[in-house]
Amino acid sequence: MSTVIEAHRPGMRSMLILIGAETKMVVRDTAGLVVPLGLPLLILLTSASAAGRTEIVNGRTALDLFVLPLVLVMVTATIGIINMPSFLAYYRRSGILRQLAVTPASPVMVLAAQAIVSLMQAAVGITLALVVATLAFDANPPVNPGAAVGVVALTTAAMYGIGMIVAAVAPTPNSAVAAGLVAFFALGALGGMFGGRGGLPEPLAEIGSRLPFGAAVDALSAAWAGTAVEGGQLLSLGITVAVGATVAALLFRWE
Amino acid sequence: MTMNTSDPAILAEGLAKRYRQKVAVADVSLRIEAGETFGILGANGAGKTTTVEMIAGLRHPDRGRVRVLGLDPRHDRTRLRQVLGVQLQHAYLHGALRVSELVDLYRSFYPNPRSGAELLELVDLGEQRRTVFEKLSGGQQQRLSIALALAGRPRVLILDELTTGLDPRARRHMWGTIEQLKQDGVTILLVSHAMEEVERLCGRVALLDAGRIVALDTPRGLAARAGTATLDDAFVALAGKEPEDSQ
Repeated sequence: MSTVIEAHRPGMRSMLILIGAETKMVVRDTAGLVVPLGLPLLILLTSASAAGRTEIVNGRTALDLFVLPLVLVMVTATIGIINMPSFLAYYRRSGILRQLAVTPASPVMVLAAQAIVSLMQAAVGITLALVVATLAFDANPPVNPGAAVGVVALTTAAMYGIGMIVAAVAPTPNSAVAAGLVAFFALGALGGMFGGRGGLPEPLAEIGSRLPFGAAVDALSAAWAGTAVEGGQLLSLGITVAVGATVAALLFRWE
Repeated sequence: MTMNTSDPAILAEGLAKRYRQKVAVADVSLRIEAGETFGILGANGAGKTTTVEMIAGLRHPDRGRVRVLGLDPRHDRTRLRQVLGVQLQHAYLHGALRVSELVDLYRSFYPNPRSGAELLELVDLGEQRRTVFEKLSGGQQQRLSIALALAGRPRVLILDELTTGLDPRARRHMWGTIEQLKQDGVTILLVSHAMEEVERLCGRVALLDAGRIVALDTPRGLAARAGTATLDDAFVALAGKEPEDSQ
């Protein structure tokens, strides 16, 4: 007599339940939820009136060309650089992946669910900022929407790339948050997060424009204005994605 | 994948594992038949957890071979996870999820899971079903991790420290659950510090010391072999040390 053991992998229903579980984890982590949605919105609210409604180019105002790009880049940067590495560090340290390893679920499934939830959070943050800007401050859509969507996608990849570097080098959840915050504020400050790069000393402003945060803001601004996005900016973002992926592949450890 | 019912449920041959300079398991061989409840006793550092982690496929042995229901934990992982339930020594679960949410999540991994209500009843956690994992006591977290190990109706169950840290009432409830699983024909490998538990639940016991099996017998046989009245005394006589608590 013999018995048959079927190979069975968790299916789409299990994936949806896992995505639901990861969503609850994100929603119940108040700080992780509020910072990426609230901080950019705060910048929007405090800068929008001052930016004025004077047209600069192609019917687009300072709000469209400077404030909105900065706000959208901040959403992706907070999620990619601060939230994502701290979640990864938490999963590693708490042994959740090890616990799941004794079930039919795979670590890849868990990480895919986590990535999907993280991208949904970024989408919510971007939508929220656009809706508030449009309804409350008469913001205009980008002259070149295709370029804007492309730049946002590349920026998101670049910010996750920086996040992967943080996750690879930070040993604990606390140090991941600390390293993520430092990276976020350093890149953001040089990229014009605090009142524009015009106020920075020339060499710092120059460096800031070449780092991914500043390059992303400039590229998104160009897409909004309908002018050509500079190759150098796309190169900066592309290099960040490549470096992030390489460092993560070489240094990141599950345990 | 088929297995003959004459195959042992768990077969371990010549297992060895070292971490850097430290030998955790020197040489362990076990043959556990289907339906058996088998205990592993040993002092801290005797190699109990490393042994069961190799059997569960969480660690790769440096030497030796493991088969669970005829499956190789390394190459037949997908099949093995359907039929093997594992409770780790410490529970690691999503901290912000409620008990019922974790139960539903782990149930979703299996094709024919036990119901959530049944799982919570088995470990007596019905009243905590809306509590988030972080807010559970250590003993409650441990009971939840046992419930999750039972979600897929496993035919083989590995329990690392079943009742360490549980209060007497929870301990008795858990023993009742294990006896129920035994009647259902589940093969159980139990790592324990509690002699009373092993005497009550296990048909055979292996005593580990310094990564080797120093005695393997029924609980009564072990005591007789050591010339002592209780398993507790037999442990001290055979292992030469006290069965200390791990926490």
